[in-house]
Amino acid sequence: MIEFKNVKKVYPGGNVALHDVSLKIDKGEFVFVLGHSGAGKSTFLKLILHEEEATEGSVIVNDYDLSAIKNRDIPYMRRSLGVVFQDFRLIPTMTAYDNVAFAMRVTNTPEKEIRKRVPYVLGLVGLAEKARSYPPELSGGEQQRISLARALVHSPPIIIADEPTGNIDPELSVEIMELLTAINKVGVTVVVVTHEQDLAARFHKRTIYIDKGQVIADTQGDTLSSPSHAMEVAK
Amino acid sequence: MNLSGLKYLSRQGVHNLVKNRLMSVASVGVLTACLVITGIAALLSANVASFVDYLGAQNKVIVYLQLDATEEQAQAAYAEVKQIPNITEIKYTSKEDALNQTKEWISGYDSGAYAGVLDGYEGENNPLYASFAVTVTDLTQISTTVSQLSKVTSVDFVDSPSELASTLVALKQTVMVAGWGLVAVLALVAVVVISNTIRLTVFARRKEINIMKFVGATNSFIRMPFWIEGTLIGAISAVLAFGVVSGAYVWVLKLASTSGISWLQSIYFTFLPYNAVWMYLLGGFVGAGIVLGGIGSCLSIRKYLKV
Repeated sequence: MIEFKNVKKVYPGGNVALHDVSLKIDKGEFVFVLGHSGAGKSTFLKLILHEEEATEGSVIVNDYDLSAIKNRDIPYMRRSLGVVFQDFRLIPTMTAYDNVAFAMRVTNTPEKEIRKRVPYVLGLVGLAEKARSYPPELSGGEQQRISLARALVHSPPIIIADEPTGNIDPELSVEIMELLTAINKVGVTVVVVTHEQDLAARFHKRTIYIDKGQVIADTQGDTLSSPSHAMEVAK
Repeated sequence: MNLSGLKYLSRQGVHNLVKNRLMSVASVGVLTACLVITGIAALLSANVASFVDYLGAQNKVIVYLQLDATEEQAQAAYAEVKQIPNITEIKYTSKEDALNQTKEWISGYDSGAYAGVLDGYEGENNPLYASFAVTVTDLTQISTTVSQLSKVTSVDFVDSPSELASTLVALKQTVMVAGWGLVAVLALVAVVVISNTIRLTVFARRKEINIMKFVGATNSFIRMPFWIEGTLIGAISAVLAFGVVSGAYVWVLKLASTSGISWLQSIYFTFLPYNAVWMYLLGGFVGAGIVLGGIGSCLSIRKYLKV
Protein backbone atom coordinates (compact mmCIF):
# COMPACT_ATOMS: atom_id res chain seq x y z
CA MET A 1 0.00 0.00 0.00
CA ILE A 2 2.52 2.62 1.20
CA GLU A 3 6.21 1.91 1.42
CA PHE A 4 9.18 4.19 2.15
CA LYS A 5 12.60 2.73 1.35
CA ASN A 6 15.57 4.69 2.76
CA VAL A 7 13.89 7.96 1.94
CA LYS A 8 15.79 11.19 2.32
CA LYS A 9 14.34 14.59 1.58
CA VAL A 10 16.50 17.69 1.43
CA TYR A 11 14.85 20.99 0.52
CA PRO A 12 16.63 23.58 -1.60
CA GLY A 13 18.69 25.50 0.94
CA GLY A 14 19.92 22.34 2.60
CA ASN A 15 17.18 21.72 5.19
CA VAL A 16 17.02 17.95 5.72
CA ALA A 17 13.34 17.18 6.39
CA LEU A 18 13.50 13.38 6.33
CA HIS A 19 16.53 11.21 6.82
CA ASP A 20 16.75 7.52 5.93
CA VAL A 21 13.08 6.75 6.56
CA SER A 22 11.96 3.20 5.87
CA LEU A 23 8.49 1.98 6.73
CA LYS A 24 5.64 -0.05 5.33
CA ILE A 25 1.91 0.36 5.81
CA ASP A 26 -0.11 -2.64 4.68
CA LYS A 27 -3.61 -3.00 3.31
CA GLY A 28 -6.34 -2.58 5.92
CA GLU A 29 -4.12 -1.03 8.60
CA PHE A 30 -5.02 1.94 10.79
CA VAL A 31 -1.87 3.94 11.47
CA PHE A 32 -1.12 7.14 13.37
CA VAL A 33 1.92 9.12 12.26
CA LEU A 34 2.81 11.17 15.30
CA GLY A 35 5.28 13.99 15.73
CA HIS A 36 5.76 17.60 16.80
CA SER A 37 5.47 20.37 14.30
CA GLY A 38 8.64 20.52 12.26
CA ALA A 39 9.34 16.83 12.89
CA GLY A 40 8.88 15.94 9.23
CA LYS A 41 5.18 14.87 9.18
CA SER A 42 4.22 17.35 6.49
CA THR A 43 7.08 16.25 4.29
CA PHE A 44 6.04 12.63 4.85
CA LEU A 45 2.57 13.55 3.60
CA LYS A 46 3.83 15.64 0.70
CA LEU A 47 5.94 12.73 -0.51
CA ILE A 48 2.93 10.40 -0.46
CA LEU A 49 0.80 12.91 -2.39
CA HIS A 50 3.74 13.53 -4.75
CA GLU A 51 3.62 17.21 -3.94
CA GLU A 52 7.36 16.82 -3.34
CA GLU A 53 9.82 14.24 -4.61
CA ALA A 54 12.26 12.26 -2.47
CA THR A 55 15.90 13.31 -2.81
CA GLU A 56 17.02 9.73 -2.22
CA GLY A 57 15.26 6.39 -1.81
CA SER A 58 11.85 5.45 -3.10
CA VAL A 59 8.23 5.95 -2.12
CA ILE A 60 5.68 3.44 -3.34
CA VAL A 61 1.96 4.20 -3.08
CA ASN A 62 -0.66 1.73 -4.32
CA ASP A 63 1.91 0.08 -6.61
CA TYR A 64 3.00 3.43 -8.09
CA ASP A 65 6.74 4.00 -7.64
CA LEU A 66 6.72 7.77 -7.14
CA SER A 67 10.41 8.19 -7.94
CA ALA A 68 9.71 6.96 -11.47
CA ILE A 69 6.05 7.94 -11.97
CA LYS A 70 5.15 9.56 -15.28
CA ASN A 71 3.46 12.96 -15.14
CA ARG A 72 0.34 11.62 -16.83
CA ASP A 73 -0.04 8.92 -14.14
CA ILE A 74 0.04 11.32 -11.18
CA PRO A 75 -3.71 12.18 -11.34
CA TYR A 76 -4.57 8.47 -11.40
CA MET A 77 -2.27 7.77 -8.44
CA ARG A 78 -4.02 10.57 -6.52
CA ARG A 79 -7.42 9.11 -7.31
CA SER A 80 -6.34 6.01 -5.40
CA LEU A 81 -5.95 8.17 -2.28
CA GLY A 82 -8.64 9.96 -0.29
CA VAL A 83 -7.19 12.97 1.50
CA VAL A 84 -8.69 14.87 4.44
CA PHE A 85 -6.97 18.15 5.24
CA GLN A 86 -6.77 20.02 8.53
CA ASP A 87 -8.22 23.15 6.91
CA PHE A 88 -10.93 21.06 5.15
CA ARG A 89 -10.17 22.69 1.75
CA LEU A 90 -13.84 23.04 0.83
CA ILE A 91 -14.96 25.55 -1.78
CA PRO A 92 -17.10 28.09 0.14
CA THR A 93 -19.21 29.05 -2.87
CA MET A 94 -20.35 25.46 -3.48
CA THR A 95 -22.93 23.52 -1.49
CA ALA A 96 -21.90 20.46 0.51
CA TYR A 97 -23.33 18.32 -2.30
CA ASP A 98 -21.36 20.17 -4.98
CA ASN A 99 -18.15 20.05 -2.96
CA VAL A 100 -18.37 16.27 -2.89
CA ALA A 101 -19.62 16.05 -6.49
CA PHE A 102 -16.71 18.31 -7.52
CA ALA A 103 -14.22 15.50 -6.86
CA MET A 104 -16.20 13.28 -9.22
CA ARG A 105 -16.81 15.95 -11.86
CA VAL A 106 -13.14 16.81 -12.17
CA THR A 107 -12.38 13.15 -12.74
CA ASN A 108 -14.90 13.07 -15.55
CA THR A 109 -17.53 10.88 -13.85
CA PRO A 110 -20.91 10.80 -15.64
CA GLU A 111 -23.53 13.02 -13.93
CA LYS A 112 -25.87 10.05 -13.52
CA GLU A 113 -23.34 8.25 -11.36
CA ILE A 114 -22.63 11.44 -9.37
CA ARG A 115 -26.34 11.79 -8.53
CA LYS A 116 -26.34 8.28 -7.07
CA ARG A 117 -23.00 8.29 -5.30
CA VAL A 118 -22.91 11.72 -3.61
CA PRO A 119 -26.09 11.35 -1.47
CA TYR A 120 -24.90 7.88 -0.46
CA VAL A 121 -21.51 9.16 0.75
CA LEU A 122 -23.09 12.16 2.49
CA GLY A 123 -25.33 9.62 4.26
CA LEU A 124 -22.27 7.64 5.36
CA VAL A 125 -20.84 10.67 7.16
CA GLY A 126 -24.28 11.53 8.56
CA LEU A 127 -24.84 14.74 6.63
CA ALA A 128 -27.48 13.77 4.08
CA GLU A 129 -29.77 16.53 5.31
CA LYS A 130 -27.07 19.19 4.95
CA ALA A 131 -26.48 18.56 1.24
CA ARG A 132 -27.75 22.02 0.27
CA SER A 133 -25.82 23.94 2.93
CA TYR A 134 -22.72 25.97 2.14
CA PRO A 135 -19.51 25.34 4.12
CA PRO A 136 -19.66 28.67 6.04
CA GLU A 137 -23.11 27.62 7.37
CA LEU A 138 -21.68 24.40 8.82
CA SER A 139 -19.72 23.73 12.02
CA GLY A 140 -16.06 22.73 11.88
CA GLY A 141 -16.95 19.10 12.58
CA GLU A 142 -19.54 19.09 9.82
CA GLN A 143 -17.13 20.67 7.37
CA GLN A 144 -14.56 18.02 8.20
CA ARG A 145 -17.18 15.33 7.58
CA ILE A 146 -17.93 16.86 4.16
CA SER A 147 -14.21 16.78 3.49
CA LEU A 148 -14.19 13.12 4.53
CA ALA A 149 -17.17 12.41 2.26
CA ARG A 150 -15.22 13.97 -0.62
CA ALA A 151 -12.23 11.77 0.19
CA LEU A 152 -14.47 8.68 0.23
CA VAL A 153 -16.41 9.39 -2.92
CA HIS A 154 -14.02 7.52 -5.23
CA SER A 155 -13.91 4.50 -2.83
CA PRO A 156 -10.12 4.81 -2.52
CA PRO A 157 -8.18 1.95 -0.90
CA ILE A 158 -6.32 4.46 1.31
CA ILE A 159 -7.59 7.44 3.32
CA ILE A 160 -4.98 9.91 4.51
CA ALA A 161 -6.05 12.41 7.14
CA ASP A 162 -3.76 15.36 7.88
CA GLU A 163 -4.51 16.65 11.40
CA PRO A 164 -8.21 15.85 10.86
CA THR A 165 -9.15 17.06 14.32
CA GLY A 166 -6.85 20.07 14.41
CA ASN A 167 -9.51 22.66 13.71
CA ILE A 168 -12.52 21.19 15.51
CA ASP A 169 -13.81 20.80 19.08
CA PRO A 170 -12.51 17.83 21.10
CA GLU A 171 -15.90 16.11 21.32
CA LEU A 172 -16.36 16.38 17.59
CA SER A 173 -12.84 14.99 17.10
CA VAL A 174 -14.03 11.71 18.55
CA GLU A 175 -16.86 11.64 16.02
CA ILE A 176 -14.43 12.05 13.14
CA MET A 177 -12.10 9.43 14.54
CA GLU A 178 -14.99 7.02 14.98
CA LEU A 179 -15.97 7.56 11.37
CA LEU A 180 -12.41 6.83 10.29
CA THR A 181 -12.42 3.67 12.42
CA ALA A 182 -15.68 2.54 10.82
CA ILE A 183 -14.20 3.17 7.35
CA ASN A 184 -11.11 1.15 8.33
CA LYS A 185 -13.35 -1.74 9.44
CA VAL A 186 -14.60 -2.21 5.89
CA GLY A 187 -11.03 -2.72 4.69
CA VAL A 188 -9.86 0.80 3.87
CA THR A 189 -6.31 1.64 4.98
CA VAL A 190 -6.35 4.75 7.18
CA VAL A 191 -3.31 6.92 7.89
CA VAL A 192 -3.84 9.74 10.40
CA VAL A 193 -1.03 12.29 10.59
CA THR A 194 -1.23 14.26 13.84
CA HIS A 195 0.69 15.97 16.58
CA GLU A 196 -2.01 15.10 19.16
CA GLN A 197 -0.54 12.44 21.38
CA ASP A 198 -3.79 12.02 23.36
CA LEU A 199 -5.78 11.29 20.24
CA ALA A 200 -3.40 8.52 19.21
CA ALA A 201 -3.29 7.19 22.76
CA ARG A 202 -7.07 6.80 22.90
CA PHE A 203 -7.35 4.46 19.92
CA HIS A 204 -4.62 1.90 20.56
CA LYS A 205 -3.50 1.63 16.95
CA ARG A 206 -0.14 1.26 15.30
CA THR A 207 1.75 4.53 15.80
CA ILE A 208 4.82 5.70 13.89
CA TYR A 209 6.80 8.39 15.70
CA ILE A 210 8.70 10.89 13.63
CA ASP A 211 11.20 13.28 15.18
CA LYS A 212 13.87 15.43 13.52
CA GLY A 213 13.18 13.75 10.20
CA GLN A 214 13.62 10.19 11.43
CA VAL A 215 11.33 7.37 12.52
CA ILE A 216 12.20 7.01 16.18
CA ALA A 217 9.60 4.40 17.08
CA ASP A 218 6.96 2.22 15.46
CA THR A 219 4.65 0.64 18.01
CA GLN A 220 1.69 -1.66 17.67
CA GLY A 221 -1.28 -0.66 19.83
CA ASP A 222 0.49 0.81 22.86
CA THR A 223 0.98 4.48 22.35
CA LEU A 224 3.96 5.97 24.11
CA SER A 225 3.53 8.90 26.42
CA SER A 226 6.31 11.15 25.16
CA PRO A 227 8.93 11.38 22.47
CA SER A 228 11.63 10.83 25.06
CA HIS A 229 9.87 7.65 26.10
CA ALA A 230 9.72 6.76 22.42
CA MET A 231 13.43 7.32 22.12
CA GLU A 232 13.99 4.86 24.93
CA VAL A 233 11.74 2.27 23.34
CA ALA A 234 13.49 2.81 20.02
CA LYS A 235 16.79 1.90 21.65
CA MET B 1 -13.92 13.22 -22.29
CA ASN B 2 -17.61 12.43 -21.89
CA LEU B 3 -20.52 14.73 -22.65
CA SER B 4 -21.31 15.69 -19.05
CA GLY B 5 -17.64 16.51 -18.45
CA LEU B 6 -17.55 18.72 -21.53
CA LYS B 7 -20.78 20.44 -20.49
CA TYR B 8 -19.41 21.07 -17.02
CA LEU B 9 -16.15 22.53 -18.38
CA SER B 10 -17.87 24.76 -20.94
CA ARG B 11 -20.19 26.08 -18.22
CA GLN B 12 -17.18 26.86 -16.05
CA GLY B 13 -15.46 28.67 -18.93
CA VAL B 14 -18.49 30.86 -19.67
CA HIS B 15 -19.00 31.42 -15.93
CA ASN B 16 -15.41 32.71 -15.62
CA LEU B 17 -15.91 35.04 -18.56
CA VAL B 18 -19.10 36.55 -17.11
CA LYS B 19 -17.83 36.75 -13.53
CA ASN B 20 -14.68 38.46 -14.73
CA ARG B 21 -16.65 40.68 -17.12
CA LEU B 22 -14.85 43.98 -16.63
CA MET B 23 -11.49 42.43 -17.47
CA SER B 24 -13.11 40.32 -20.20
CA VAL B 25 -14.49 43.47 -21.86
CA ALA B 26 -11.09 45.15 -21.56
CA SER B 27 -9.37 42.11 -23.11
CA VAL B 28 -11.91 41.91 -25.92
CA GLY B 29 -11.35 45.64 -26.55
CA VAL B 30 -7.57 45.38 -26.72
CA LEU B 31 -7.60 42.19 -28.75
CA THR B 32 -10.16 43.64 -31.18
CA ALA B 33 -7.97 46.73 -31.62
CA CYS B 34 -4.91 44.53 -32.25
CA LEU B 35 -6.80 42.43 -34.79
CA VAL B 36 -8.23 45.53 -36.53
CA ILE B 37 -4.75 47.04 -36.94
CA THR B 38 -3.41 43.66 -38.12
CA GLY B 39 -6.29 43.32 -40.58
CA ILE B 40 -5.71 46.80 -41.98
CA ALA B 41 -1.98 46.07 -42.32
CA ALA B 42 -2.73 42.78 -44.08
CA LEU B 43 -5.22 44.39 -46.48
CA LEU B 44 -2.82 47.22 -47.18
CA SER B 45 0.07 44.91 -47.95
CA ALA B 46 -2.11 42.62 -50.09
CA ASN B 47 -3.31 45.62 -52.09
CA VAL B 48 0.19 47.02 -52.48
CA ALA B 49 1.30 43.58 -53.69
CA SER B 50 -1.56 43.46 -56.18
CA PHE B 51 -0.74 46.99 -57.37
CA VAL B 52 2.94 46.09 -57.77
CA ASP B 53 2.01 42.96 -59.72
CA TYR B 54 -0.17 45.08 -61.96
CA LEU B 55 2.66 47.54 -62.58
CA GLY B 56 5.02 44.66 -63.23
CA ALA B 57 2.68 43.20 -65.83
CA GLN B 58 2.64 46.54 -67.64
CA ASN B 59 6.38 46.46 -68.12
CA LYS B 60 7.29 44.02 -70.82
CA VAL B 61 10.68 42.62 -71.71
CA ILE B 62 11.39 43.21 -75.40
CA VAL B 63 13.46 40.58 -77.21
CA TYR B 64 14.91 41.95 -80.48
CA LEU B 65 15.85 39.50 -83.23
CA GLN B 66 18.81 40.02 -85.53
CA LEU B 67 18.13 42.44 -88.40
CA ASP B 68 18.52 39.79 -91.06
CA ALA B 69 16.49 37.10 -89.23
CA THR B 70 14.06 35.35 -91.57
CA GLU B 71 10.43 34.43 -90.79
CA GLU B 72 11.53 30.81 -90.22
CA GLN B 73 14.21 31.89 -87.79
CA ALA B 74 11.66 34.06 -86.00
CA GLN B 75 9.33 31.06 -85.66
CA ALA B 76 12.16 28.92 -84.31
CA ALA B 77 13.04 31.66 -81.82
CA TYR B 78 9.37 31.90 -80.79
CA ALA B 79 9.34 28.18 -80.04
CA GLU B 80 12.52 28.53 -77.96
CA VAL B 81 11.18 31.52 -76.01
CA LYS B 82 8.02 29.56 -75.25
CA GLN B 83 10.10 26.93 -73.44
CA ILE B 84 11.60 29.45 -71.01
CA PRO B 85 9.91 29.42 -67.58
CA ASN B 86 8.55 32.54 -65.81
CA ILE B 87 6.91 33.88 -68.99
CA THR B 88 3.16 34.31 -69.35
CA GLU B 89 2.64 36.11 -72.62
CA ILE B 90 4.61 36.44 -75.86
CA LYS B 91 3.60 38.93 -78.54
CA TYR B 92 5.45 38.83 -81.87
CA THR B 93 5.98 41.96 -83.93
CA SER B 94 7.47 41.36 -87.38
CA LYS B 95 9.74 43.87 -89.14
CA GLU B 96 6.80 44.95 -91.32
CA ASP B 97 4.49 45.39 -88.35
CA ALA B 98 7.18 47.45 -86.60
CA LEU B 99 7.55 49.67 -89.66
CA ASN B 100 3.77 50.07 -90.05
CA GLN B 101 3.33 50.92 -86.37
CA THR B 102 6.12 53.51 -86.58
CA LYS B 103 4.64 55.00 -89.76
CA GLU B 104 1.26 55.25 -88.10
CA TRP B 105 2.76 56.95 -85.08
CA ILE B 106 4.72 59.44 -87.22
CA SER B 107 1.71 60.30 -89.34
CA GLY B 108 -0.21 61.24 -86.24
CA TYR B 109 2.67 63.34 -84.89
CA ASP B 110 2.65 67.14 -85.31
CA SER B 111 -0.52 67.07 -87.49
CA GLY B 112 1.07 64.76 -90.06
CA ALA B 113 4.03 67.11 -90.81
CA TYR B 114 6.38 64.15 -91.11
CA ALA B 115 4.04 61.63 -92.80
CA GLY B 116 5.83 59.84 -95.60
CA VAL B 117 9.28 60.23 -94.10
CA LEU B 118 9.61 56.46 -93.88
CA ASP B 119 8.48 55.76 -97.39
CA GLY B 120 11.03 53.68 -99.21
CA TYR B 121 12.18 51.74 -96.19
CA GLU B 122 10.01 48.72 -96.91
CA GLY B 123 11.32 45.24 -97.68
CA GLU B 124 15.07 44.84 -97.59
CA ASN B 125 15.59 48.47 -96.60
CA ASN B 126 13.56 48.05 -93.40
CA PRO B 127 15.89 49.23 -90.58
CA LEU B 128 13.63 47.98 -87.77
CA TYR B 129 13.96 44.81 -85.74
CA ALA B 130 11.44 42.03 -85.44
CA SER B 131 10.71 41.51 -81.74
CA PHE B 132 8.86 39.60 -79.02
CA ALA B 133 7.16 41.51 -76.20
CA VAL B 134 7.35 39.13 -73.25
CA THR B 135 5.47 39.41 -69.93
CA VAL B 136 7.36 38.10 -66.91
CA THR B 137 5.43 36.35 -64.10
CA ASP B 138 7.82 36.77 -61.18
CA LEU B 139 9.70 40.05 -61.25
CA THR B 140 12.26 38.83 -58.72
CA GLN B 141 13.49 36.33 -61.32
CA ILE B 142 13.69 38.85 -64.14
CA SER B 143 17.51 38.85 -64.53
CA THR B 144 17.62 35.03 -64.94
CA THR B 145 14.83 35.20 -67.50
CA VAL B 146 16.56 37.99 -69.42
CA SER B 147 19.83 36.05 -69.59
CA GLN B 148 17.96 32.99 -70.85
CA LEU B 149 16.21 35.12 -73.47
CA SER B 150 19.56 36.56 -74.64
CA LYS B 151 20.82 33.06 -75.39
CA VAL B 152 17.94 32.21 -77.75
CA THR B 153 19.11 31.64 -81.35
CA SER B 154 18.75 34.68 -83.68
CA VAL B 155 18.26 37.04 -80.73
CA ASP B 156 20.30 40.23 -81.10
CA PHE B 157 19.61 41.95 -77.75
CA VAL B 158 17.07 42.13 -74.94
CA ASP B 159 15.63 45.30 -73.47
CA SER B 160 14.24 44.89 -69.93
CA PRO B 161 12.95 47.26 -67.26
CA SER B 162 15.34 45.73 -64.66
CA GLU B 163 15.72 48.80 -62.51
CA LEU B 164 12.00 49.38 -62.26
CA ALA B 165 11.53 45.71 -61.54
CA SER B 166 14.01 45.76 -58.68
CA THR B 167 12.37 48.87 -57.20
CA LEU B 168 8.94 47.23 -57.34
CA VAL B 169 10.26 44.02 -55.82
CA ALA B 170 11.93 45.96 -52.99
CA LEU B 171 8.72 47.91 -52.37
CA LYS B 172 6.68 44.72 -52.18
CA GLN B 173 9.19 43.09 -49.83
CA THR B 174 9.33 46.12 -47.53
CA VAL B 175 5.56 46.21 -47.26
CA MET B 176 5.47 42.47 -46.51
CA VAL B 177 8.21 42.63 -43.87
CA ALA B 178 6.66 45.67 -42.18
CA GLY B 179 3.24 43.97 -42.25
CA TRP B 180 4.53 40.76 -40.68
CA GLY B 181 6.57 42.69 -38.11
CA LEU B 182 3.46 44.56 -37.06
CA VAL B 183 1.50 41.29 -36.86
CA ALA B 184 4.18 39.74 -34.61
CA VAL B 185 4.24 42.70 -32.21
CA LEU B 186 0.46 42.87 -31.98
CA ALA B 187 0.21 39.11 -31.44
CA LEU B 188 2.59 39.44 -28.50
CA VAL B 189 0.52 42.30 -27.04
CA ALA B 190 -2.65 40.24 -27.43
CA VAL B 191 -1.14 37.19 -25.70
CA VAL B 192 0.07 39.30 -22.75
CA VAL B 193 -3.33 41.00 -22.34
CA ILE B 194 -5.31 37.76 -22.49
CA SER B 195 -2.94 35.91 -20.20
CA ASN B 196 -3.24 38.71 -17.63
CA THR B 197 -7.02 38.59 -17.72
CA ILE B 198 -7.07 34.87 -17.24
CA ARG B 199 -4.40 35.07 -14.57
CA LEU B 200 -6.99 36.96 -12.50
CA THR B 201 -9.48 34.11 -12.83
CA VAL B 202 -6.78 31.56 -12.12
CA PHE B 203 -5.68 33.50 -9.05
CA ALA B 204 -9.24 33.76 -7.76
CA ARG B 205 -9.63 30.03 -8.23
CA ARG B 206 -6.19 28.86 -7.13
CA LYS B 207 -7.66 27.09 -4.10
CA GLU B 208 -10.08 25.23 -6.34
CA ILE B 209 -7.25 24.28 -8.70
CA ASN B 210 -5.25 22.98 -5.75
CA ILE B 211 -8.18 20.83 -4.62
CA MET B 212 -8.67 19.60 -8.18
CA LYS B 213 -5.06 18.45 -8.25
CA PHE B 214 -5.45 16.50 -5.01
CA VAL B 215 -8.62 14.74 -6.00
CA GLY B 216 -6.90 13.56 -9.18
CA ALA B 217 -7.99 15.92 -11.96
CA THR B 218 -5.72 15.76 -14.99
CA ASN B 219 -3.89 18.91 -16.07
CA SER B 220 -5.82 19.09 -19.31
CA PHE B 221 -9.11 18.96 -17.38
CA ILE B 222 -7.98 21.80 -15.09
CA ARG B 223 -6.77 23.84 -18.03
CA MET B 224 -9.94 23.42 -20.09
CA PRO B 225 -12.27 26.09 -18.52
CA PHE B 226 -9.48 28.68 -18.70
CA TRP B 227 -8.74 27.68 -22.25
CA ILE B 228 -12.44 28.03 -23.09
CA GLU B 229 -12.46 31.47 -21.46
CA GLY B 230 -9.41 32.54 -23.49
CA THR B 231 -10.68 31.22 -26.80
CA LEU B 232 -14.10 32.82 -26.21
CA ILE B 233 -12.39 36.20 -25.69
CA GLY B 234 -10.45 35.49 -28.91
CA ALA B 235 -13.51 34.46 -30.90
CA ILE B 236 -15.64 37.43 -29.78
CA SER B 237 -12.79 39.83 -30.64
CA ALA B 238 -12.36 38.14 -34.03
CA VAL B 239 -16.00 38.65 -34.98
CA LEU B 240 -15.92 42.30 -33.85
CA ALA B 241 -12.66 42.98 -35.71
CA PHE B 242 -14.05 41.33 -38.83
CA GLY B 243 -17.11 43.61 -38.69
CA VAL B 244 -14.99 46.74 -38.30
CA VAL B 245 -12.36 45.93 -40.93
CA SER B 246 -14.69 44.59 -43.60
CA GLY B 247 -17.05 47.55 -43.06
CA ALA B 248 -14.13 49.93 -43.48
CA TYR B 249 -12.85 48.13 -46.59
CA VAL B 250 -16.23 48.20 -48.30
CA TRP B 251 -16.41 51.93 -47.51
CA VAL B 252 -12.94 52.56 -49.00
CA LEU B 253 -13.85 50.60 -52.15
CA LYS B 254 -17.04 52.60 -52.53
CA LEU B 255 -15.17 55.83 -51.98
CA ALA B 256 -12.57 54.90 -54.61
CA SER B 257 -15.19 54.12 -57.24
CA THR B 258 -17.56 57.03 -56.65
CA SER B 259 -15.56 59.85 -55.12
CA GLY B 260 -14.57 61.44 -58.41
CA ILE B 261 -10.98 61.81 -57.19
CA SER B 262 -9.12 61.01 -60.39
CA TRP B 263 -5.97 59.32 -59.04
CA LEU B 264 -8.10 57.15 -56.69
CA GLN B 265 -10.37 56.15 -59.55
CA SER B 266 -7.42 55.39 -61.79
CA ILE B 267 -6.10 52.77 -59.37
CA TYR B 268 -9.53 51.49 -58.31
CA PHE B 269 -9.34 48.45 -60.60
CA THR B 270 -6.13 47.29 -58.89
CA PHE B 271 -7.90 47.03 -55.48
CA LEU B 272 -8.68 43.48 -54.43
CA PRO B 273 -12.47 43.06 -54.55
CA TYR B 274 -14.26 42.47 -51.21
CA ASN B 275 -15.45 39.04 -52.41
CA ALA B 276 -11.85 37.95 -52.81
CA VAL B 277 -10.73 38.96 -49.32
CA TRP B 278 -13.58 38.52 -46.84
CA MET B 279 -13.10 34.80 -46.20
CA TYR B 280 -9.36 35.24 -45.64
CA LEU B 281 -10.10 38.07 -43.21
CA LEU B 282 -12.72 36.10 -41.28
CA GLY B 283 -10.64 32.91 -41.25
CA GLY B 284 -7.51 34.80 -40.24
CA PHE B 285 -9.25 36.71 -37.46
CA VAL B 286 -11.04 33.69 -35.97
CA GLY B 287 -7.90 31.55 -36.27
CA ALA B 288 -5.65 34.21 -34.76
CA GLY B 289 -8.19 35.08 -32.03
CA ILE B 290 -8.59 31.48 -30.94
CA VAL B 291 -4.88 30.66 -31.11
CA LEU B 292 -3.86 33.85 -29.26
CA GLY B 293 -6.61 33.32 -26.66
CA GLY B 294 -5.56 29.71 -26.18
CA ILE B 295 -1.87 30.55 -25.82
CA GLY B 296 -2.65 33.40 -23.43
CA SER B 297 -4.72 31.18 -21.16
CA CYS B 298 -2.22 28.31 -21.17
CA LEU B 299 0.56 30.68 -20.16
CA SER B 300 -1.39 32.01 -17.20
CA ILE B 301 -2.24 28.66 -15.64
CA ARG B 302 1.12 26.93 -16.03
CA LYS B 303 2.40 28.03 -12.62
CA TYR B 304 -0.58 26.59 -10.73
CA LEU B 305 -0.34 23.19 -12.37
CA LYS B 306 3.08 22.47 -10.87
CA VAL B 307 1.85 20.66 -7.78
